[in-house]
Amino acid sequence: MDSLTLIREFLENRLGVSPELVVAEAPLNDLGIDSLMMLELMFEFEDRFGITLAKGLKSPKTVGEMVALMDRLRSEQS
Amino acid sequence: MNQQRRVAVTGLGLISPFGGDLNDFFARLLAGESAVSFLRTDDVPRPLAMPFVRCQHFDADAALGRPLAGMMDRFTQLGTAAAFAAWEDAGFSRGQPPKQLENWGVSWGTALGGTHAYEHGLREMWKNGKQRLPPMSVVLGMNNACASHIAIKLGLGASCMTYSIACASAATAIGEGFKKIQQGESDLMVVGGSDNPLLYGVFRAWEAMRVLSPGNAETAANACRPFDSARSGLVLGEGAAALILEDWEHAVKRGAPIICELGGYGANCDHQNLVRPDQAGQIKAINMALANADMQLTDVGYINAHGTATLEGDPIEISAIREVFGSHAPKLPVSATKSSHGHLMGASGAIEAAITVLALSQDALPPTANLTNIDPKCEGVMHIRGQSIKNTNLKGAISNCFAFGGSNAVLAFKKTH
Repeated sequence: MDSLTLIREFLENRLGVSPELVVAEAPLNDLGIDSLMMLELMFEFEDRFGITLAKGLKSPKTVGEMVALMDRLRSEQS
Repeated sequence: MNQQRRVAVTGLGLISPFGGDLNDFFARLLAGESAVSFLRTDDVPRPLAMPFVRCQHFDADAALGRPLAGMMDRFTQLGTAAAFAAWEDAGFSRGQPPKQLENWGVSWGTALGGTHAYEHGLREMWKNGKQRLPPMSVVLGMNNACASHIAIKLGLGASCMTYSIACASAATAIGEGFKKIQQGESDLMVVGGSDNPLLYGVFRAWEAMRVLSPGNAETAANACRPFDSARSGLVLGEGAAALILEDWEHAVKRGAPIICELGGYGANCDHQNLVRPDQAGQIKAINMALANADMQLTDVGYINAHGTATLEGDPIEISAIREVFGSHAPKLPVSATKSSHGHLMGASGAIEAAITVLALSQDALPPTANLTNIDPKCEGVMHIRGQSIKNTNLKGAISNCFAFGGSNAVLAFKKTH
């Protein structure tokens, strides 16, 4: 599964956000991702891909930044 | 000392285990219907199989919206939905963003709180090899989650308190919220309670205590028989109920629908034994509530008893009632509605307060369902059985809650004149 699909599935399941709204430039905050939801999203990402995120990681602001971060971490792992 | 303020009940809300609205719920109670059914879980290797009361028609996503429901444990979903219903019943609407009402607060009761979040997490770790719990578990599982969600959504900026006092949790929450209005600290309080005892560990512990009534698919509806010679214990249930309490003048001024008055509250501790109730403590609590409400013994025309249908508890409560009410006791209608809606643990006091309010406002007293042969040890009051009693010119009624740990909470309601 690619990173964007994971984010879309998460947002649809948890918050009922339609996948077509989850585009690169969309601010995560506008989609309902507050600090608590960000923790949940990162938890799910870690679980799914067996990655442990560093504690001091800077939170991405948009869907695109989140996808880039996830892609980078996954490529580092492989 | 300042004159204490009067407290009006201006809204009611509950999640009915029958699936309908408030009036449907009360009509079924008056008819002596039981919401108890047989529940069998798919737990391996030993499923839970027991009489239970489930709010199976409750749809959290529909009632609260997916994003909000997803941030809540079931006790919070049930409780917040009940609070919203009470809020609307009191003539308020829910706007976004909510007005910040700094003088209004929440007082909530729950015995188990978000235990489910942890039980679920432990299962995932031990059964499915997960290494950790999702971060959301913390805010799902905290016992004040329900009160906080209600405060946030309704914009209540004063106290946001949660009381966890076993079976007296919600009655205490209602009483403490009442005091805040009575003493002038708040003009309006959202009060009540919610609980979800459908937890593997919780059920197995109650089972081990030998106080759960057995039953199967055929007999479950009749499993809870308070005051009956053949009673065999309590039936657990999930649920929630909420009341809006309001300073009387405040309610009159805004033209609120005043349902009745919450006149008094008595709370104390037996300080004797963790599980065996003490008649002397119960007597004191009832007398405290009546004195606080400035009610005479004969003003009380109905008691919604704690009545859990345990062998030990029921006769002690009836004995306390006999002692307090003396010559009035044989004419005093009493029922234990747990026979219909089950024992909602920390939410019991809320659903039973709501029933007491409905009894007053409709002048109709629900029976103790399944009560056929009164245990001689429980005689001495007018047990309501078979069918309801109507048009008794009811002026006042009390609701008893007596908890493990020895904490007692009694609420005294008066009819509105």
